[in-house]
Amino acid sequence: MKLFAAGKKWNKYFVAGLIMTGLAVLLGVLGLFWTPYSTTAMSAAERFAAPSLRHWFGTDNFGRDIFSRVMQGMSTTILISAAVVLISGAAGVLLGALTGYFGGVLDEAVMRVTDAVNGFPSILLALVMISILGNGRQNLILSLGIVFVPSYVRIVRGEYLRLRDADYIKRARLMGVGRFRILFVHILPNILPVFGVSVMIGLNNAILAESGMSYLGIGVQAPDASLGNMLSDAQGYLQAAPWYALAPGLVIVWIVLGFSLFGEGIRRQME
Amino acid sequence: MIKIENLSVAFDGPEVVKNVSLELKDGEILGVVGESGSGKSVTALTLMGLVAESARVTSGKIYFDDTLLLEAGKPRDKALYRKFQGDRMSMVFQEPMTSLNPTQRVGKQVDEVLRLHTQLDAAERKKAVLNAFASVGLKEAETVYSSYAHQLSGGMRQRVMIAMAVILEPRLLVADEPTTALDVTVQNQIISLLQDINRKQHNAMLFITHDLNLARRICHRIAVMKDGCVVEQGETEQIFNQPAQEYTRRLIEAVPSRLKKRKSVQLSSEQEKDIVPVVQVRDLSVFYRDAGNSLFGRKRRHCVVKNVDFELYPGESLGLVGESGCGKTTLSKAILGINREIEGQVLHNTLRPQMIFQDPYSSLNPAKTVGWQLQEPLRARGAIDGSQEMTKADMEEAAYDMLRRVGMEEKYFHRRPSQLSGGQRQRVSIAQALITHPGFIVADEPVSALDVTIQAQIMELMRRLQQEMKLSYLFISHDINVVYHMCDRIMVMKDGRIIETGRTEEIFGAPREEYTRLLLAASQDRNKD
Repeated sequence: MKLFAAGKKWNKYFVAGLIMTGLAVLLGVLGLFWTPYSTTAMSAAERFAAPSLRHWFGTDNFGRDIFSRVMQGMSTTILISAAVVLISGAAGVLLGALTGYFGGVLDEAVMRVTDAVNGFPSILLALVMISILGNGRQNLILSLGIVFVPSYVRIVRGEYLRLRDADYIKRARLMGVGRFRILFVHILPNILPVFGVSVMIGLNNAILAESGMSYLGIGVQAPDASLGNMLSDAQGYLQAAPWYALAPGLVIVWIVLGFSLFGEGIRRQME
Repeated sequence: MIKIENLSVAFDGPEVVKNVSLELKDGEILGVVGESGSGKSVTALTLMGLVAESARVTSGKIYFDDTLLLEAGKPRDKALYRKFQGDRMSMVFQEPMTSLNPTQRVGKQVDEVLRLHTQLDAAERKKAVLNAFASVGLKEAETVYSSYAHQLSGGMRQRVMIAMAVILEPRLLVADEPTTALDVTVQNQIISLLQDINRKQHNAMLFITHDLNLARRICHRIAVMKDGCVVEQGETEQIFNQPAQEYTRRLIEAVPSRLKKRKSVQLSSEQEKDIVPVVQVRDLSVFYRDAGNSLFGRKRRHCVVKNVDFELYPGESLGLVGESGCGKTTLSKAILGINREIEGQVLHNTLRPQMIFQDPYSSLNPAKTVGWQLQEPLRARGAIDGSQEMTKADMEEAAYDMLRRVGMEEKYFHRRPSQLSGGQRQRVSIAQALITHPGFIVADEPVSALDVTIQAQIMELMRRLQQEMKLSYLFISHDINVVYHMCDRIMVMKDGRIIETGRTEEIFGAPREEYTRLLLAASQDRNKD
């Protein structure tokens, strides 16, 4: 069960995932404070410069340094995704724990609502919510957060359902341990491995969703960079400056692949 | 004749079978006896050519008559094995439910054996299968033929498995714990059936078991295994009467036997009358509701336990005996208040009675350390009743103290359950149940999942703690010999009713009910042939 038991070999998935996500998160965090060039400084002379030592990823239609903008985009994307996972994960644990452990009418109600939410394509639902709430970062986080709640509820609920009749939980009840202590002190640590893997998957989904939304022009607004809106801008210059689209695209692939490997690595490490 | 010479088998790491040599003559039943992890199953599976691919045979040879089946250093000759498997050697497993394919009628599954190994046409095969079913004591062979595994009882499934194994009259039959998953009365029937088959077909039988009584009843010769080695081998009665090895002696002594003197610890029945019972159960019926989890499904109530009356006195052990499905566990849960679908009364005179469960692997929280789990009952009590609140240091001290009392070293305080053996886990479970001095403990098959030597230690521990802490036990078991040693009074349960209650000596000496007599006979430890 232990992640880093002594003498256990590090599996390749875990190491590769750790390096890839580590690099992405590092660049993203750095991008919050410092970028090689200003992300908004335009330069007419340097429009569509190809990748070079000066501009690693080249420049865009306004002569802005793409590498700097990718760094900013990474920090935006990762922060938004993390916030989305935090909201949906927390709500998922709470609802999943209550419904899985207690069952009954509450369970029935929550499960039917999650069925309803699952009935729509998640991006579509988030779009509808944003069009009601209005554009902006907070609303993007909130709507994506809500859309992703059901997937966590299902996983967490299943685990609580499985563990609520375990002998050690019956014994805890006999000892007179309070219900909420059983829920969050006795059971919760036991579902962390499963939950951890689903958080990794959730992070990936959130990154893709955020990029998709920003690509569609909802979500992060210019002049702020996000990987999604950079892709959307680059679309018009695919022939003139292919590197413009390639840079944010490859970075998305890099991050998503990294988190996938990381999640798989954790799962294997637990076995 | 089957001959295993110097066999050693290893998976990743050290050898789990070390230099094992066994010989099996036709018509002979050889018992391989040992505790879990002793290598008895790996030996059998290697002999059968069924051991996992990752196993490496590091030394030795296996002969079937003059054919060399397996030799160390050479890969398993699968084609050769296939000629022998099913036809000349076959196997009966412990769990008949998982050994049968749930999606196929059992008749078809037995039929397949014939289809693969004989030239018979369909009608002849069916006739042969029906004959085989009849010969293993399955009545209404036709009905069984077209049943699915889940429609049969455990005993019937095991009979089907045996029919499948012996239909081709194999020269070698390996039976790996064939009766462990069955109730004692059924167990008995299966044992006699295997003996009959052995007599009729005159095949060599390798009988693997952890149960020495069982081995003594059926086997001609016995090999005792420990840590991968055969420590002793010989004629059955000789092994039992004059064990040469210390380990064999310990194993035999650990078996709860009715031939051994029982230590009676309790008060006389006259004294009991004046004392207030710890628990009084009055006309208790317990119901089970269908888990109709849907909104509109109607829930049906089944009566599982019917009109039970008894009381339990301080310091007393009351045994509850019966076969699986008779309602023992349901009754115990109702008494503890876990199951609330009841009619009648349960009056407690103690605070928070605790329970010890059968499976040591699921009764401790895998995510928490031993020390944390021992203190949890104290924290819970403090949270409910402020006057009982203890300081951190006191709780820790109490936990260490309890750990010592159940015979465990202090270093285990910071370990997690995954780092403990089954016996150690059961000790921690007991410690956790007793740390609040509950006075009354329900023990639901507390030693059934343990090896026999560990079983003896845990029983000894429970008896000692009972004296030290003035405990009352409601001791549930299917093993009547365990109950004999643990309990002062015994209740016999059948189909949800208590059919007989009495002092242990009375029940064993002069059982009134036919069913009790049957149970006692089934678990008799000497062969009365």
